[in-house]
Amino acid sequence: MKIKVLTIGTLALATLLLLVWSSAGAQGVGGTLDSQKTVIGPRNPFLADGADALVNGDAERGIELTEKGLAYAKGSFEQKAALSNLCAGYLMVNKPEKALNACNRVLEEDPEFWRAYNNRALVYLELGRFAESEADVKRGQELRPKSKNLKLTRAKLLDATDPVVPSVEIDERRSAGEDFESDTKL
Amino acid sequence: MSAAAQDRVEPVDTDYDRMPANTVVPEYPEKARQERVEGEVQVCFDITREGFPQRVKVRHSTHRYFEKPARDAVRRSTWRPIPHGQNVPGIKACRTFRFTLIPVPPDERD
Repeated sequence: MKIKVLTIGTLALATLLLLVWSSAGAQGVGGTLDSQKTVIGPRNPFLADGADALVNGDAERGIELTEKGLAYAKGSFEQKAALSNLCAGYLMVNKPEKALNACNRVLEEDPEFWRAYNNRALVYLELGRFAESEADVKRGQELRPKSKNLKLTRAKLLDATDPVVPSVEIDERRSAGEDFESDTKL
Repeated sequence: MSAAAQDRVEPVDTDYDRMPANTVVPEYPEKARQERVEGEVQVCFDITREGFPQRVKVRHSTHRYFEKPARDAVRRSTWRPIPHGQNVPGIKACRTFRFTLIPVPPDERD
């Protein structure tokens, strides 16, 4: 069974991250997760279909299926995937309190899960809890320094707390200087 | 942003400087804005008799984010052509672009 971790880069909530239990991958006949056992069909189809719905932007349906998937979740990974996706899903439908609860549960399960820090930072941002959002971005960047999503989340946070207006000024008063010699003849 | 920056363009009209015809102001790079990076780039170039830039090169830069926008802005800019028969002492020029982020005061935020 194949587990995919996808980044939703093009949806409205571009920086939300799903830990996707991909149905496409799960339906394959080979697997590399914990063992080399052959698995036919997804073990938890609710999680797979819920993730697909969330990726496709159908947040309500995604949440519904993922909640069912959570009820049938076996093992830490399935539970973490379900809660992480619920965190993203509830934020997509503007239910930040529920999203926060799901993210908190993921981080209780795995305090080094950087995607949950990213998602929770967005939840805190939505709730106006900027200091906590900043702390989560910082913690996430400690775990994953090069994450583009965390950089975007940080940018959103800065836009909320310290907005700026870009300005470009042009100065033509400087001479070219001695080290710039033109070889063009008019 | 562009309009505001455009207002600050001060063409220098001397015996030696070419008069800009169309000054293109670069966009502030989004990545730089997101990361709150400011900087300055000086681009040097030749101006042809017809008023087009050539040999456009970055002479000084504080951050690579700004180099391409500055170079591209110069390449898309034009200067007034030199009338036929008129001599000019020099055709090399430099343009400095300053990319800054102005904080929005609390009472002006949405």
